[in-house]
Amino acid sequence: MLTWLILIPVLGAAVVALLPRRRTELVLPVGIAVSLIPVGLAGVLFFQFETGEAGFQFLQQATWYEPLGISYRVGVDGISLGLLVLTAVLVPISLAASTSIDRRLKEFVVYILLLEAGLFGVFVALDLFLFFVFFEAILVPMYFIIGIWGGERRIYAAVKFFLYTAVGSALMLAAIIALAVIHANQTGVPSFAFADLLALDLSPTVQRWLFAAFGLAFAIKVPVFPLHTWLPDAHVEAPTAGSVLLAGVLLKLGTYGFLRFNLTLFPQATVDLVTVLAVLAVIGIIYGALVAIVQPDLKKLVAYSSVSHLGFIVLGTFALTSGGLQGGVIQMINHGLTTGALFLLVGMIYERRHTKKIADFGGLAKVMPVYAGFFLFMAFASIGLPGLNGFIGEFLVLVGSFATLPVYAIIAAFGVILAAIYLLWAYERVFTGVPDKPENQRLVDLSGREIALLAPLVVLILVLGLYPKVLLDKVAPSTEAILDRIEQTTDFQVPEPGRLADVFVAEGGGE
Amino acid sequence: MIFPEVSWAAIAPEIALVAGAVAILMVDVQWKPHTRVLGGIVALAVVSAAVLSVGQWLRLDTPGDITTPFGGMIAFDRISVLARFVLLAVAAMGVAGGWRLFERLGRRAAEALALVLLATVGFSFMASSIHLVMIFLGLEVGSISLYVLAGITRERTESDEAAMKYFLLGSFASAVFIYGVALTFAGTGRLALLGQRAFLDANILTRPAVLLIGLALVIVGLGFKVSAVPFHTWAPDVYQGAPAGVVGFMAAGAKIGGFAALTRILFTAFPSMTDEWSSVVAAIAAVSIAVGVVLALVQDDVRRMLAYSGVAHAGFILTGVVAGATATTGIWFYLAVYTVQLVAGFAIVAAVTGSAGSRSDLGAFAGLATRSPFLAGAFTVALLGMAGIPLTSGFVAKFGVFVSAWQAGFEWLVIVAVLASVIAFGVYLRVIVVMYMREPGDDAPAIPTVAARWMLVAATVVTILFGVLPQPLLDLARNAFSV
Repeated sequence: MLTWLILIPVLGAAVVALLPRRRTELVLPVGIAVSLIPVGLAGVLFFQFETGEAGFQFLQQATWYEPLGISYRVGVDGISLGLLVLTAVLVPISLAASTSIDRRLKEFVVYILLLEAGLFGVFVALDLFLFFVFFEAILVPMYFIIGIWGGERRIYAAVKFFLYTAVGSALMLAAIIALAVIHANQTGVPSFAFADLLALDLSPTVQRWLFAAFGLAFAIKVPVFPLHTWLPDAHVEAPTAGSVLLAGVLLKLGTYGFLRFNLTLFPQATVDLVTVLAVLAVIGIIYGALVAIVQPDLKKLVAYSSVSHLGFIVLGTFALTSGGLQGGVIQMINHGLTTGALFLLVGMIYERRHTKKIADFGGLAKVMPVYAGFFLFMAFASIGLPGLNGFIGEFLVLVGSFATLPVYAIIAAFGVILAAIYLLWAYERVFTGVPDKPENQRLVDLSGREIALLAPLVVLILVLGLYPKVLLDKVAPSTEAILDRIEQTTDFQVPEPGRLADVFVAEGGGE
Repeated sequence: MIFPEVSWAAIAPEIALVAGAVAILMVDVQWKPHTRVLGGIVALAVVSAAVLSVGQWLRLDTPGDITTPFGGMIAFDRISVLARFVLLAVAAMGVAGGWRLFERLGRRAAEALALVLLATVGFSFMASSIHLVMIFLGLEVGSISLYVLAGITRERTESDEAAMKYFLLGSFASAVFIYGVALTFAGTGRLALLGQRAFLDANILTRPAVLLIGLALVIVGLGFKVSAVPFHTWAPDVYQGAPAGVVGFMAAGAKIGGFAALTRILFTAFPSMTDEWSSVVAAIAAVSIAVGVVLALVQDDVRRMLAYSGVAHAGFILTGVVAGATATTGIWFYLAVYTVQLVAGFAIVAAVTGSAGSRSDLGAFAGLATRSPFLAGAFTVALLGMAGIPLTSGFVAKFGVFVSAWQAGFEWLVIVAVLASVIAFGVYLRVIVVMYMREPGDDAPAIPTVAARWMLVAATVVTILFGVLPQPLLDLARNAFSV
């Protein structure tokens, strides 16, 4: 089943590539149709997933290259499940939002579908070699998407994106090789299987080095301050679909990687280095928000808001409490939904006005009330208004990190306020007042198609905001297992209120 | 008088190739046929050599099976056969990819095609010799053929210049190599590699200086052939000056022959001195990788770029060499997949900028994706393969040598290599950017010949196939030797 999830977009890409050259009008519908199949599959996965199980489910494995211990192993647990669904949902939406792509459409759809396959692959891979293959292979389609269909400085942005992320993953490759060699030294045979590598006995020094190598790769992806400079460029230059997937899913590779590999493979190093990551996360939260406030460009504003929001996820992850970890996972999904939606909205206005400058707008609420309504809704979700999804994630992260990192949690809380400032101030400048610019007075409100694109996101945001239990119940066992592992392998004990939070979450959740 | 043991079976494929070369020259003199007929003879010679090699492979039952006929000159083992397969593939691809050049050469096509076959024979002997003199003979047969090929379009001064440069520096390297051979003879009293090994196993050298200097010179001489730093300076000029139609074969053939000989000498004769040579080789590898990628980054000519990237690749392969014989699988996998990408790359360069021309400005590739999506796609796959992006054979190849080097304790070298790979991404991305993201100039569409087209399809399929499912080729390489 998971293999099909990866294969269907690839096969779909092949089908799209083989469509006759003259029938360009078929390309997009076929692409969307193909990308709807994974939505169904992901839905089936979500509901068949055994709630309350901490381990991996839907396991599949096959040997790939035996002498080196490389195998094809895939599986899903509570952490990756939500991300799979998120990916599956965002791809058809971003494809359907790409009607304005007027040249080389076929290639575009092919790259998006290949990207989707790679993303599924990363989230289900349970062999580090396989994980690395997907992690790195994703760069290629994204590079083309930014470089061919991007804005003015697209080539600069695409190359920067590629090289930046490749630097990190290069050292991770060395670390993966090191793990396999250590496995060979300890057991006699090399292995890249995640489960085998968990059993390794690593000295604290080795753990720190490997943690650093993995951490650098993920920190660049997230991106953690001060490694974030590729992100605004990539986001601003990418076409809408690219931005949506970049913000919605690609950034989560970093936070997912931290959670999946750093915390479990190198628990001692994690405990030792918590402060470093927490400091960087908090700087990211505040810095990202402050920079977002002063952005004159709507898309850049959303991009910097990602730096801030992703900081929350990292903080939650390294809080090493139930609330922090669960909040981090939930926030990954939330951020994917809300920021994806915000990028869609920015793309829609850009298609109409061909500008993203905040100063060029004003009073749009009068001209485009529906658009304004959606924007406000997404902004509130992003700020974390109670009842919407962002609240649950940020609240859990803050509660969770208060138990172990109280000072950081307090500072981070200001990030929530700053988020309200930059988003609402941007809303005020774009939507309120009188539409005094003539170009703005004739803008058409959202079409049915555009509303249909946003509707599923609105539904998911409301579901997660009002009844997060549906996801939290699946996430909690897996994150608890990570904490158990850290407590067993190190001297670190999660302080009492930290582990209490899960009781509170499992019962209350949505307030 | 003692007659050495003769085993025609051991050299049958080479005989087929020589026969092909001779036949081409004879037929050409006698009937002055169309170039296509000569191409047919090349194909016949290559295919029969391949079939004979398959026969050899099957006759050698186990990986470690080795006999040394001709008085211990020739090694009849699976490594030789494997190396020959790679060489034959490269020769066939080279001829197919540069076919337009051979057609244009007219009367000189016969010479050129015969030289390709003879170069193949020479490098093949380099791989299958187990005696230093025989290795030298193979090296010279191969190299001299290449010197002439580099200057085959003699009416063009760039081509002459390239040939002259290649010849002078190449002869110098050969001299260094043979001097090194002489010193190893002075150190061990033997020229046969197995004899040298036996000598080193049986004796402890109290003053190994002569032998070490000899070994160093041997490494230098072969380092020139594979264009490792600091013996790489000829490569960019020769790659740029020689006619595009043959550069791919030249570069690939020399690399395969050089590495075949280097690994044979180091792994067969001097495993007992691994500690001495591995650190030297590691240093050369690190410098080659670093210098190769950095200089490749600043080239504006695609051929010079490929030349410097070839320097880096020599470094990557040497990264495997430092690990010793256990890395043989990885080294051969790397050589096989890299040379295929290299030949494919030059076939595309030839198709885009002219098979006889000498310059290949990056600008000529602008907008190739719209002018000729097929060529752009094939080049992209080849470049991504050279960059070592996952799901291409290049990634598996790099991964293999990195694992070997790490296991051998050269962690620092692996870290240098992975970081340099990132810079190398930049090198290849530049070309992809130009092909996909720049508007085409008014250049005419580039149309490859039918032969080149099929060759490129094959190269693309191989690059992706062995990236996704590397097991068959790795098994083949693994079955070729025993540790």
